[in-house]
Amino acid sequence: MTLRTTKRLWTAALAVGTLGALSACAGGAGAGSSTPTPEDGAASGSVTMWTYPVIADEAAHKAFWDEQIAAFQEENPDVDVKVEIYPWAGRDETLATAIAGNKGPDVVYLIPDQIPKYGKSLAAVDNYVTDQVGDLRENASKAVTVDGAMLGSPLIMNSKPLVCNAAAFEAVGEAGNYPETWDDLMALAPTFQAAGYDVTNYWGSVDATLNESFYPLLWQAGGSVFSEDGSSVAFDSPEGIEALQFAVDLAEGGYIEKDLLTTIPAFEQTNTAKGKIACTWQQGPADVAGFWGEENVVVLPPLKEAEAVAFGTVGSLSVLKTAENLDAAGKWAAFATSPAVSTEYAKAAGWFSPYESESGLYADDPVLSALEDTLQYTTAGEVNEKSREVMGVLAPEIQAALIGEKTPEQALKDAAAAADPLLG
Amino acid sequence: MTATAPTSDGLTADGADRRPAPKPPRGGTRRVLERREARIGLLFALPAFLLFLLFRFGPAIAGVALSFFDYTIGVGAEWTGVENFRRMVDDPIFWSALRVTVVLSLLIVPVSLAISTFMALMVRRSFRGSGFYRSVFFLPVVTSLVLAATVFTWVFSTNGPWSKLMGALGFSTESWLGDTLLVLPALAMVAIWSRFGYGMLILLARMQDLPRELEEAAAIDGAGPWKRFWFIIAPQLKPTLFFLAVIETTASFQIFDLVYVMTAGGPARASYNLVFYIYDQGFKYFDLGYASALGVALFVVTLVVALIQRYAIGRDK
Repeated sequence: MTLRTTKRLWTAALAVGTLGALSACAGGAGAGSSTPTPEDGAASGSVTMWTYPVIADEAAHKAFWDEQIAAFQEENPDVDVKVEIYPWAGRDETLATAIAGNKGPDVVYLIPDQIPKYGKSLAAVDNYVTDQVGDLRENASKAVTVDGAMLGSPLIMNSKPLVCNAAAFEAVGEAGNYPETWDDLMALAPTFQAAGYDVTNYWGSVDATLNESFYPLLWQAGGSVFSEDGSSVAFDSPEGIEALQFAVDLAEGGYIEKDLLTTIPAFEQTNTAKGKIACTWQQGPADVAGFWGEENVVVLPPLKEAEAVAFGTVGSLSVLKTAENLDAAGKWAAFATSPAVSTEYAKAAGWFSPYESESGLYADDPVLSALEDTLQYTTAGEVNEKSREVMGVLAPEIQAALIGEKTPEQALKDAAAAADPLLG
Repeated sequence: MTATAPTSDGLTADGADRRPAPKPPRGGTRRVLERREARIGLLFALPAFLLFLLFRFGPAIAGVALSFFDYTIGVGAEWTGVENFRRMVDDPIFWSALRVTVVLSLLIVPVSLAISTFMALMVRRSFRGSGFYRSVFFLPVVTSLVLAATVFTWVFSTNGPWSKLMGALGFSTESWLGDTLLVLPALAMVAIWSRFGYGMLILLARMQDLPRELEEAAAIDGAGPWKRFWFIIAPQLKPTLFFLAVIETTASFQIFDLVYVMTAGGPARASYNLVFYIYDQGFKYFDLGYASALGVALFVVTLVVALIQRYAIGRDK
């Protein structure tokens, strides 16, 4: 093939590719009203909802939604609702490419840090949930609100406060002496270390979300990830340095499992699963009860430095602007997140309702009751379109500090220098 | 000079065939036949060609086109010209990822080729159990890399056998996956383990095709195993080695599973390679324009390296 022929082929192929790419892009941008209003009377049409294995037993999960669909259809007999349960793994890839190809669902289960990411494709649900929004916990409502509009209706929520291992405390002779502050935890660390226990754990792999590792420390120190207007990062503040220094001190002292700083081993292989740990804010009771024994799981309020804050996520249902029957989708999302349905779903999944009036779901279960009490401390994080990108540049710098490659100041300074342009 | 008369079967007494050669079909008929054969051949190749065009060539070209756009899923596309490439040049993470990619490749390719060649030499002769050994050495190639990576994460952990072995030898027992200097050798070891069987198989096929006479003659002349390999076998393996070098380099440039499972690019981006960066930009942050530009850069780097390899190893062929 001559050079000229090759050039011609490339030019032609490039032109075809460009057209292809552009035509594919055309489907990506959403259209239509961003705050739709419910139409009078019953809705009609079809609604497809994508959700994930929030209830681990797939048959039970499917049966739950089948039951709700039947109840919804009593008032909206002309709406055909289809609930599709996808695996957690690769959910963003699946959803993003489906939206880009105009093959996305009408309603989808999202968590707070996904909402701003898909914000431009989502319709506000404010007008569909007016009856139930007043009863929402403030932190649940805040987690789904972007620029004053509710881009999702909260369905369930959880909390990651402090969970301690009673057996470990007993084994080291500190029975019942649970930490309340950073200083308490640090003071206990040498005792646990001498007995062959870690005082806590820290998942430092860059693939692990900072929402559950570093950010709780940052918030507890009184800091924040972003500035108030969200136009720059704020984690390199003195509070941020204090939070990272605390984590670095734990690592340098050998008080936490070193492998966890750089890799994500199978949970069964970790000291946490082996019960060789005092407390954790990165695992919930359900994660450790099977390993420690339910009787050894002690749920406590989150650690406090300047304030007591825990991460807690909110699962919500969002309506896509591209929904074929926007009214039916909005009405279904409102029904599926109504207090009664939410409570039933939360109990089936072992989570909690985002509604104030629906508390006390686990009166007979001391662990879950205690966990529910900590919902008041939770935040789902700061809503920002670039939160994941910022996490992407911050996590390796935190890791560098944890393994001693950088000082906390330098690591946060370098991360801020890389993160700020992302927000500009 | 007397010609031997042909016998009735057309052969001469000395056995030579003196029968007149069959007449070739007339020019026109042959062309028609050839054309017909070519058409049938093309017809058979067409489905594969169309699939290739649709699923390989098309997306690749679309990827190149996309690199000139600012395209974020859910936001839309905007023509930005070479802005993505300009951003790439100023992006320290790109350069760091490129460095990691090249270093990882430099660690993997030569060692992998050496081990493949050595193993192929070891199992090329038939001996009792040679088939078993060949299968065992090829097994890692067909083993799930994700599964293997999960196991190797434990092998390299602080309490894993590798760290214990290092401790027994008097070295540090710290996990190699947690060390910015040792993480790439650790990943390279797993990559080589997973790939050498493929190279061994290709080289084995070539070695079994080599004429034995030269080797035997050299042995009679007193050449030892090393000289026989270096002066007789190795020169004949050059085209195969060139092919393997290109394939292995391309594969090492595209390592993703190992990094994803074992280190996620850490510690402190010490194993954050270009493919992982492309994945992050494309599927974590949905910045497909920039991810495409990074993909184009990876393609160019791979092409340049392949050309260099062609010059260095394959220029005779």
